[in-house]
Amino acid sequence: MGLWYRTVLWEDFWVGAINNWTKSTISMASKRISRAFKDISLSFDPHPVTKDLPVLTNERSIRRSVRNLVETIPTERFFNSTLGTNIRRSLFEFVDYSTAVIIEDQIRNTVSFYEPRVTNLKVQVDPRPDDNSFDVNVIFDIIGLDIATQQFSFILEATR
Amino acid sequence: MPFTQFTNLDFDQIKTEIKSYLRANSNFTDFDFEGSNFSVLIDTLAYNTYINAFNANLVVNESFLDAATVRENVVSLARNIGYVPRSKSAAKAHITFSVPTTTASSFITLKAGLVCVGSFDNTSYRFSIPEDVSATVINGVAQFGSASSPIQVYQGTLLQKQFLVNSSVDQRFILDNPNIDASTIVTYVRGINDTGLGREYHRVDNILNLNKNSEIYLIQEVQDERYELLFGDGYFGKELENNSVVTVKYVVTDGEAGNGPAAFDFQGNFVDESNIRVIPSASVPVTTVQRAMNGGEIENVSSIKYFAPRLYSAQYRAVTARDYEAIIQSIYPNTESVAVVGGEELTPPQYGTVQISIKPKNGTYVSDFDKQNILSKIKQYSIAGINQKIVDLKVLYVEIDSSVYYNTSQVSNVDDLRTNIINSLTTYSRDVDINKFGGRFKYSKILQLIDRVDSAVTSNITKVKIRRDMKVLKNQFAQYELCFGNRFHINPAGYNIKSTGFTVSGSNDIVYFTDVPNKDANGNLDGSGMGVLSAIKRTEQDKLQVVVKSVGTVDYAKGEILVNTINITSTVADNDLIEVQAFPDSNDVVGLKDLYLSFNVPNSTINMVKDVIASGEDISGVTFTRDYYTSSYSNGALERK
Repeated sequence: MGLWYRTVLWEDFWVGAINNWTKSTISMASKRISRAFKDISLSFDPHPVTKDLPVLTNERSIRRSVRNLVETIPTERFFNSTLGTNIRRSLFEFVDYSTAVIIEDQIRNTVSFYEPRVTNLKVQVDPRPDDNSFDVNVIFDIIGLDIATQQFSFILEATR
Repeated sequence: MPFTQFTNLDFDQIKTEIKSYLRANSNFTDFDFEGSNFSVLIDTLAYNTYINAFNANLVVNESFLDAATVRENVVSLARNIGYVPRSKSAAKAHITFSVPTTTASSFITLKAGLVCVGSFDNTSYRFSIPEDVSATVINGVAQFGSASSPIQVYQGTLLQKQFLVNSSVDQRFILDNPNIDASTIVTYVRGINDTGLGREYHRVDNILNLNKNSEIYLIQEVQDERYELLFGDGYFGKELENNSVVTVKYVVTDGEAGNGPAAFDFQGNFVDESNIRVIPSASVPVTTVQRAMNGGEIENVSSIKYFAPRLYSAQYRAVTARDYEAIIQSIYPNTESVAVVGGEELTPPQYGTVQISIKPKNGTYVSDFDKQNILSKIKQYSIAGINQKIVDLKVLYVEIDSSVYYNTSQVSNVDDLRTNIINSLTTYSRDVDINKFGGRFKYSKILQLIDRVDSAVTSNITKVKIRRDMKVLKNQFAQYELCFGNRFHINPAGYNIKSTGFTVSGSNDIVYFTDVPNKDANGNLDGSGMGVLSAIKRTEQDKLQVVVKSVGTVDYAKGEILVNTINITSTVADNDLIEVQAFPDSNDVVGLKDLYLSFNVPNSTINMVKDVIASGEDISGVTFTRDYYTSSYSNGALERK
């Protein structure tokens, strides 16, 4: 939670600094490096030249994080049984809009609770009864990063 | 930032620590967000650390006798200091029976195995013997056992296991069944040149006095409460020959559940001297000398942890009182509590004597047969020149007379409240702090206990009595001494000592003991702390009349009653007992020396009294002091009620 507050403060600074703050304030605040989000990639494929482990930065890392949250099943994480969504269970329900709303709610709740870096979250779930699957679109803005709205899509389909 | 705290065993703390480390030492930043890949890695790492820490903690705990909790480990650690936990013990019954037979054989043999079946609580139990028993046939009847020397049968089933010795492999002799009574294990070894079952090997507890030809074995408990037999190695005990056959017979028992059966149906098998089966010519009725008793469960983990170090410190030598406690527990598993008093502490002193009192688990007295057994076994542990004497238990009962005030507005059924109080007291009365030698009855605990049973209880006034049961030798002149071990309260008017009724020779009237403290010329207590005991009867006009003026003395300071020579012909209480009670000077009662303290709830009185002040019925307290008043002091009635 502490970090969540830190991020928000940093956003205030970002908005306010351009208009009001003095250079010295900017130089002091700019020592913070939290703007650059940097995560490790779980593919562990080494970089072809540097042989370093692959790194996910900024919007890619956040997008990956949102994806992880959606795909995690509650109780899968050690000692954090509420993290994740139960959408897999919904895949055996009727493929209709009522199930789609349930999936939407679960994704929205989880992401807004566990991912404080995103805002303007929109989740669109469209049922595809003919394929027995759902089209999921997750759209969000990243707080404090001057980049376009992020979006990723995936198809939820019962595999057994 | 280095890792500095190694003591965390909590998953969240380990995770926080890893994050703190990364915050100071890493280029990565996303580990704070639960959805990040890095968070998944940290979770895995923290979980691994957590499991390792947990396992390390578990392993270290299980490595020490004090901290181990898994039976297998406790037993293994106790084994290191030479302690074999007590096995389940079969309930034992003593029986006799006559077998009418037409056989021409001079004797018949009852085969080892099932002898009879007894039932208790709608459950049937099998009773067996581990070895054959023979009896001579006289006039067509074979008498097995007598009242003085009965046949002992063990509750359970006799099983047999054979091993073929193969010295080329590391062979273990493990009996497959749990629930074995280890005292019934009988072992035979048939060498290559032997016949039948072979020679009987004997169980020993240690390797003292053994040589290379000793036919012995040791036992140890292994996994799942089973037993392993360990034979000699050719230095300490005879080594087993290759291809010899080990036959082990043992009884598998129900333990404590087998206690109780008193009537038995005969089910045994007989053979004659030619080993031909003999069928009795009529049914075989079984006479019970002693019902099935002394069955017990396998020694539990906490008991092993308590006694293993003590037996080790005793080193198989009975020197101090603690040594006796540990050794008697191991040779007589039915022991609940032991008190050992050196003869020099007795009055008058009996130097060179150790006086032992044993409280068995089920019952009050140790049978004469068991006493003899214990004494003969303890001889091998004790110092030369010291005589042990097992004396019967002297039980000092503590009873209470409690008036419990309750708020009527908070209770729907007074009987339920009373039952709850009695249940709480009964639970407390089973506490090991009280029911033991050297136990102490704590008055303040009782007051607190009663008050806390229910919020409806507003207060209680509780008086304490102590009681001893005097076993009377009927129609004989005898002297009696009753030690209470606690100072008596002296009421100058007397009636400190009360008893149940009895009759003395020469009179049919029921009389009671009562006392008069010694006084000086002015009628005040003379300070000697002594008094005179008298026998008094109540006349038809409800007046008191002295029957025997000075029947004995009372030592209030020592808490001792001496009854001079008297011939008591009958008692009002059952079992030739006179219950003698006194009021202790201190409400905290102690079980002194060989007195076994027992808080007797069934004989205690719980009076429920309305607290009219608390319920609002009486604001001024006038009704309370008039109708609901309870004295904190004891009454002056003659008889024990």
